[in-house]
Amino acid sequence: MPCRIDAMARTRSDKSEQMHEFLFWPTLITIAVVFGILQGTAGFLVYVERKVCAYMQNRIGPNRVGPYGLLQVLADVLKFLFKEETLPRKADMALFLLAPVLAFSTALLSFAVVPFGATEPAPLPPAPPAAIMQSATPLEKQQHALIEAEYKKKLQDYEAKVEVYRSSYQFIIAPNIDIGILFIFGISSLAVYGVILGGWSSNNKYSLVGALRASAQIISYEIPLGLSILGVLLITGSLNLERIIWNQAEQGFLGWNIFIQPVAFLLFMTSAFAECNRLPFDLPESEQELIGGYHTEYNAFKLAFFLLGEYVHMITTSFLMVILFFGGWHFPIIASPEAGWFLKLIVFAGKVTFFILFYMLIRWTIPRFRFDQLMALAWKVLIPLALVNLVMVMVVKEMAWPEWVLLPASLAAVVVAGAVALNAPPRPRDRRLKPAATDL
Amino acid sequence: MNEPTFDLTTYYPIFLYLVVILGFAAVAMVAVHLIGPRRRTAVKEMPYESGMDPIGDARQRFDVKFYLVAIMFLVFDVELLFLYPWAVVAYQEGGIPLVLRGPVFWGVLAFLAMLLIAYIYDWRKGVFKWR
Repeated sequence: MPCRIDAMARTRSDKSEQMHEFLFWPTLITIAVVFGILQGTAGFLVYVERKVCAYMQNRIGPNRVGPYGLLQVLADVLKFLFKEETLPRKADMALFLLAPVLAFSTALLSFAVVPFGATEPAPLPPAPPAAIMQSATPLEKQQHALIEAEYKKKLQDYEAKVEVYRSSYQFIIAPNIDIGILFIFGISSLAVYGVILGGWSSNNKYSLVGALRASAQIISYEIPLGLSILGVLLITGSLNLERIIWNQAEQGFLGWNIFIQPVAFLLFMTSAFAECNRLPFDLPESEQELIGGYHTEYNAFKLAFFLLGEYVHMITTSFLMVILFFGGWHFPIIASPEAGWFLKLIVFAGKVTFFILFYMLIRWTIPRFRFDQLMALAWKVLIPLALVNLVMVMVVKEMAWPEWVLLPASLAAVVVAGAVALNAPPRPRDRRLKPAATDL
Repeated sequence: MNEPTFDLTTYYPIFLYLVVILGFAAVAMVAVHLIGPRRRTAVKEMPYESGMDPIGDARQRFDVKFYLVAIMFLVFDVELLFLYPWAVVAYQEGGIPLVLRGPVFWGVLAFLAMLLIAYIYDWRKGVFKWR
């Protein structure tokens, strides 16, 4: 009712303004802690990655600096700091310096709306009753008065809840951002500028090829990434990440979205791997053919910015997988919605660690794709599957069928997709013999 | 129906965070520039091509396929932008009213069908073929 501003509506808006009061120092402390931990973790992950790689290849890995090589992180950082900075003479200097900053800051900024511990969504105000008409009968007026009274009671409840919400600490930099996941997608799609500017401005052929491949890959995989979560959004009805967690936690273990959206999870994970340029999708920087890809010409701390950005992106997508599909801080028996913040933090960290280690296991298990296979996977497999998944959720929601129907339906969709792929006519082989015009 | 409440105060932490990030990046860039040694030589500042002297410039023409991918991305991404608001309000209390759910459902299906036609056209035209 936009035209009706009565006393109650005014009190509500006053209250909601109070709810979003901006506390400078607590926010700054949260930011400092998250900023430090993210960078520390990103540095540490380089060490973990090398260790995991070493163990998988039956080696020992870094073990010289400190016990078990744990101080390797410090050594790496110091080396990045004190290394000579070379600036290629033919580079476009402004863009060359801007690119690593862009790559780094977009990766970090998207973490602003990601909950990393116990959070709860802000309470929603109750819906105000419809206005009464002038010509209402006395009976209707009486009924309306009852409704108004009920509404007032709800409003009081709501205000009490707001008080509780305001006095509890939320483990997130910017709580109650309603565009949550859209913000993350918006910011992280800016990362492609860091990559393409870095590659183009270096004025190096390897960099250019790497940047072109990277941008084609990143924008192609952004579509299945965005399409796959539409199903989750239809079920949850909110872009707010705290609310997405809460909706799953309320329904218990079987309420986790992975059980009703398994296909969406697979699509999301695959696209997230490609977005982070991780193997098996690391064509932008395939060392064997392109030296370092788009960051061939970078060294010293500018290279560190690119690497930090990549690892932070990996951490963020792991968080997103946990939040969207695995119930965030929720875990049956151990961390119910009533559990303390410490348990929730531990559970959350444990789940995210699992996914980060999974990233690394995949990296050292699966060989790299060819570029045409990579593009075909995005456009010919992931996008149609994501659309099928979306239509399935739409139909289930429209027909008001129970949500568990989606589990067998998803499995059936995968089986049908596999059957279609196996029975597809074979590709003409002679095309491959002809050399391509340009070999980018 | 809840009236939309938008409050910029919610977004202040993000702005603060952005300032911190950019401040860190700027300080780090300048500090590293000052700390590190600098011995400039002509060979060091050449573009790196595995030790060979680079032939020609890197400002060259490249495959038109990349352009096609960019156009396809635009089509699908704009479509996604339309679907997000719909997905959030479609089956929520205070979202699309019950009476309108049926028509909106068929409307979105028609929208997806139109997209499918474009998609099939592209496939048959060989836009997704990289060799």
